[in-house]
Amino acid sequence: MNGENTRSNTLTRKDFLRYMALIAGGSITVGQYVACQNKTDRYAHITGKINGASAAIGHRIREGSFPVPEVTTYTDTLIVGSGIAGLAAARKLQQQGIDFKVLELEPTPGGNAGFGKNAYAAYPLGAHYLPLPNLQHTALLELLEEAGMLTGYDAAGLPIYRETDLCFDPEERLFIHDRWQEGLVPQFGVQAAALSEIQRFLAEMERLRQVKGADQLFAFDIPVANSSADPVYTALDQISMRTWLEQKGYHSEELHWYLDYCCRDDYGADAAAISAWAGIHYFAGRKGKAANAESSQVLTWPEGNGRLMQHLLQFSKESLLPNSLVYQVTPAGDKVQVDYLDVHQGITKRIVADHCILAVPQFVGRRLLPARPPAANFVYSPWLVANITLDNIPAGSGYPLCWDNVVYKGRSLGYVNAQQQNISQISPDKQVITWYLPLDHLDPVNSRKYALGLDHAHWVKLIADDLAIAHRHIHALIRRIDVQVWGHGMIRPHPGFLTSQERHAVQQSGHSNIFFAHSDLSGISIFEEAFYHGNKAAENVIARRRS
Amino acid sequence: MEALLFFSVFVIATCGLIYELVAGTLASYLLGDSVTQFSTIIGAYLFAMGIGAWLSRFFKKELLSWFIQLEILVGLIGGISSAALFLLFEHALSFRLILYMLVGLTGILVGLELPLLMNILKNRYEFRDLVSRVFTFDYIGALLASIVFPLLLVPYLGLIRTSCFFGILNVLVAMIVLVKFRSEIKWAAYLKIKAVAVILFLSGIFFWANEIMTFSEGMAFRDPVIFTHSSPYQRIVLTRSKSDLRLYLNGNLQFSSADEYRYHEALVHPVMMYGGSRRKILILGGGDGMAARELLKYPEIEHITLVDLDPSMTRLFKENTLLTKLNSNSLLSPKLTIVNADAFQWLKENKETFNIAIIDFPDPGNYAVGKLYTTAFYRQLRHSLNDSSVIVVQSTSPYVAPKAFWCVNTTLLTCGYKTIPYHTYVPSFGEWGYVMASPAALYQQHDQLPEGLRYFAAGVFPQMRLFTADMDKRAVRPNQLNNQVLVQYFEDEWGKYQE
Repeated sequence: MNGENTRSNTLTRKDFLRYMALIAGGSITVGQYVACQNKTDRYAHITGKINGASAAIGHRIREGSFPVPEVTTYTDTLIVGSGIAGLAAARKLQQQGIDFKVLELEPTPGGNAGFGKNAYAAYPLGAHYLPLPNLQHTALLELLEEAGMLTGYDAAGLPIYRETDLCFDPEERLFIHDRWQEGLVPQFGVQAAALSEIQRFLAEMERLRQVKGADQLFAFDIPVANSSADPVYTALDQISMRTWLEQKGYHSEELHWYLDYCCRDDYGADAAAISAWAGIHYFAGRKGKAANAESSQVLTWPEGNGRLMQHLLQFSKESLLPNSLVYQVTPAGDKVQVDYLDVHQGITKRIVADHCILAVPQFVGRRLLPARPPAANFVYSPWLVANITLDNIPAGSGYPLCWDNVVYKGRSLGYVNAQQQNISQISPDKQVITWYLPLDHLDPVNSRKYALGLDHAHWVKLIADDLAIAHRHIHALIRRIDVQVWGHGMIRPHPGFLTSQERHAVQQSGHSNIFFAHSDLSGISIFEEAFYHGNKAAENVIARRRS
Repeated sequence: MEALLFFSVFVIATCGLIYELVAGTLASYLLGDSVTQFSTIIGAYLFAMGIGAWLSRFFKKELLSWFIQLEILVGLIGGISSAALFLLFEHALSFRLILYMLVGLTGILVGLELPLLMNILKNRYEFRDLVSRVFTFDYIGALLASIVFPLLLVPYLGLIRTSCFFGILNVLVAMIVLVKFRSEIKWAAYLKIKAVAVILFLSGIFFWANEIMTFSEGMAFRDPVIFTHSSPYQRIVLTRSKSDLRLYLNGNLQFSSADEYRYHEALVHPVMMYGGSRRKILILGGGDGMAARELLKYPEIEHITLVDLDPSMTRLFKENTLLTKLNSNSLLSPKLTIVNADAFQWLKENKETFNIAIIDFPDPGNYAVGKLYTTAFYRQLRHSLNDSSVIVVQSTSPYVAPKAFWCVNTTLLTCGYKTIPYHTYVPSFGEWGYVMASPAALYQQHDQLPEGLRYFAAGVFPQMRLFTADMDKRAVRPNQLNNQVLVQYFEDEWGKYQE
């Protein structure tokens, strides 16, 4: 043995620290390298832009002071707004041969039912499905039949829907306990007690679906106006959905999450902020049936409700004037004067009409008419809808990719793979998914400010990180995110609103030839309500012309 | 000198943990259920290390030489472990047994390393120091391994290369000790040659890791793979043995040249007997040209339109001489037009009508293919048919998946077609089913069959229409886009069959 090897060397403290420092340094460098790779490259490659309702132009109404219009034209009925309510009214008038014009602030019609398109797919910008209509809602069934989506009725009188318009299977999945399960009601890894509570809740909803008030009307119906006025049920509007759950002895975390999810989905705020009547209506109001689909199924299209909107649009294509900011509606004897700014030409114009349908939400409508009290009770939930173009949609573990993909306790409502409605085996080079976020982390006013203040890079980070909960490596797959901010996305049925004096009062405009038409009159922002109010306003115009 | 020995401890510890992580990861990749795999692998590995530690007492002389031997062996076995497991996965009767044997062996060898090293060093250092230093570096090495494995090694090197790389490190430790202590070591030259050979071997695996992966995939097939191609739609694999050529799409057998005539004669000739006019024919799927080959035996056919999604499929069966011999050059026939398109989409745009349609899609094993078996599809197809047209749909095995088979029948009935379900035996597939259908009542309109059929004859057909109790009609729901029940039936039934 060599002498030097037998030397008894002690490891000095200095040596030890040096080795430790070396190894620690090495690990940190490696860690940083990987983290950097993740951070710098993670979002930088993602392109896209922010779109939104033309808030800046719209806000000019608040400032007032427009020059007196020089051009004046005439029409029988003027419709302000080309969302579903406005287009539904237009369809009805066109079918009666009544002359009309539709003024729309945005460059494209549709409102919440608008849609976008890129090289790979058409996609929804907002509302994206229609539950199977209730059999009593004949006007809606007729519309679907007219659009070819309802092909007939079976021997039992149940509607038969065109299969390609029904949501393709697999429909819904939920990411819970690190795994995708089938359906949105939490099941996977849920305790038996909570499961039985959920069953009890769903059974109660099934009972309430069929229940009728003293006036023999359904306690919960669509349109809302057809629901029973029996105080036994309308009293539910006074408490929040969460309070109702507690009162009824529903305490499980999973059920509470599910109800928060449902309320956020339809009303843009959780169960604590929504009236129990509205929360129950989400379930009990839907009584649709079909010969060839389960009651719970929906009609949907790659471009969402844009498909229905395009059908309605056929009836008013020539009468539609986009980029028109209506700033003043003045009753003048028998007539109505509607003044608007032609945003493209930069000049103000006037249309004099026999009738006017204000198919706009109250927060706009009340500013247009002279001397209307502010609609303080009308609260609107802000929303964000993002369309995400990506190389492919990762499958994840468990149940396969569905039309609707929700993450348990996620901040967003998850994403919809609307392209699942394509019949083709061949998928385009890139996929487009639609991601929904009700902005309810602050009160509506501040959430709205927050949303309008956030730049694209921040949205990208927020959205990509949210998707990464269920799909860890999704950042690298995302190519583009187009963000649509809906400052006043939908009316919020907060406790007391549906039964409020104010909501009932605004059903009439206070002028015999001016009619409101918007889903906010129902307090529930769904296609069916907008369609109902559009039709109703048109019927009022028709009735007035006859008298 | 001292630094070198402790560096060896550090490397040994890192390598030891890496082998354990590789085995755990590989087991969860190949066997699934990562929690079970990881915990049993870690347990088995640690236990084996204990055995190694116990065995260390039997090494009394020539400790340095034994240590070098051991390092080379650990490097070899640890280094080839993942490549060997990948290759053996498809082959071995009991993969688990091999997995745990390999884990056990590596564990024993790794467990021997540190006790042996401490015995070597015990005369050179104070015991207190020795224990403190050896364990310090051991645990630091473990930390490093656990950090770099998931962050760097798996994403950038892959499992095969990772284990090779650390195998080489192990052998390098042996080499360094060998060089530094050459005066104390017996059989130095022999050990040196051995170490170099193992390093070369492991480097070879390192460089050919991709080929090994491909080869191990190839072993999933019974016979040697002679052609593979990944198109945007599917993975096409051809295998060949002495007497048999087989086509697999996404791993599913499409035909075996030994008995495909049974499948294709049963697919084509019944529908030709029942079709009145037979001038214009549509084939959906069937890019292998086998159905077209059978059709071209009828001179009265004027035109065949073949719609297949994948251009690489039709090109392969037009150009490859092995395959054109099988389909008798049918895809080159002037009577035939090939359209590479999505069948559903194509039907939506098609304005022509056909006397006969032959629908030969892959089995409804996923939701995408499932769309091609829905009421929506058959209703769309109706627009490309006359009132008296006759179609046939390949409908999976009525023996393995009776619900799936009868679901195709029910779906066609729901769309207003009259049907004749029938089946035949194809040895490479098993019992196989078809549904013939027409908007009008079905009856036999021709009894002349072409010359030279090897299986089908008019007299055979009544027998094909008989269903024994184990395959007989089941109560099932029609398959719709909005329920995709067929995919569920198919998965349930084939899943159970393959368990």
